[in-house]
Amino acid sequence: MAKNNFWSPYIAGAGLGLTLLATFYLAGWGLGASSAFSLLASLGMKEVHPDFTQRLTYFSQYLNAESPLRDWVLFEVGGLFLGALSAALFSGNFKFRFDRGPGMSAGKRLIAAVSGGIMIGFASRLARGCTSGVALSGGAQLAIGGWIFVIAMFVSGFIAAALFRRLWT
Amino acid sequence: MTGPLVVSQEMGLLLAVMLGFFFGLFLERGGLGNPHKLTGVFYLTDFVVPKVMFTAILVASVGFYLLSDLKLLDLNRVWIVPAFFWPQIAGGALFGIGFVVSGYCPGTSVAGLASGRLDALVTMIGIGIGSLIFAVAYPMLEDFYQSSPMGVATIPGVTGVSHWIVLAVLFIVAGLMFYLMEQFEKKAK
Repeated sequence: MAKNNFWSPYIAGAGLGLTLLATFYLAGWGLGASSAFSLLASLGMKEVHPDFTQRLTYFSQYLNAESPLRDWVLFEVGGLFLGALSAALFSGNFKFRFDRGPGMSAGKRLIAAVSGGIMIGFASRLARGCTSGVALSGGAQLAIGGWIFVIAMFVSGFIAAALFRRLWT
Repeated sequence: MTGPLVVSQEMGLLLAVMLGFFFGLFLERGGLGNPHKLTGVFYLTDFVVPKVMFTAILVASVGFYLLSDLKLLDLNRVWIVPAFFWPQIAGGALFGIGFVVSGYCPGTSVAGLASGRLDALVTMIGIGIGSLIFAVAYPMLEDFYQSSPMGVATIPGVTGVSHWIVLAVLFIVAGLMFYLMEQFEKKAK
């Protein structure tokens, strides 16, 4: 594992909070992430199966846009990648790897990474957003939806960790 | 100047990249591109997720309500996260399992890939597949998805308690939580 040269979580958290505040003030909404995945999934699926995808009413919100790729959250996630890449490169923290829990085989990690991702993708649509758009942005607005999500996520995460003790320890 | 500022689409997308840049920078520097640190809270080994998350929420929230009180931010023109009680309970619960199993959430998976983690790319593909499954199942899910709507509900709005009192309580709870986490981490070492 790379050396641990991370910032204090309180400093990083304050920086993240100021970024979120600037987003509220400048854009009029919060930070997001999961909708960019949903948007790309709709566009990718449209390339492969256009007729089938056109019938998916949930995806029409993206596909009926004049230029679907000119999406605020998609651009923001692009910036997220560049910001995290710069931070990782400048701190010497960038390294190609297939990160996994101790004693976990690469095959198991592959299955865990994709199946966990599927759950997250589905859950984010159901909850109308993820840790960024609902938990962080809604939490800061003191929105009920944000706090419901935060509580449900932590309670369920603790139960899941107790059940899947071997995943990360 | 009263926000939110109305900007052109081009300016908006440029802003999105810039704000996203800082979002990603602070995520990575906080250690939130690392799945061991991301899942640590659930195994009581590393509390970086709640520390970063609740610090960010407190800082942004104080600024949000301060700007509003100073008439520098018009909350009527800010998109507030809507509440749908049961879908968000169910979504949050499933999300928690996916978080522990994959080691990431959507934003942090991007930060994970940006630090060279190819397992994060696998999770990103999974998130896309999960979104697609939702869209395919949507006709069956729509009734539940639209159920128990609470509208644009905030804690101060629903309880009638001043937002500064809600924030004061949140500060005390978070402060106590941070103190206990630091004590716990010290003992574990």
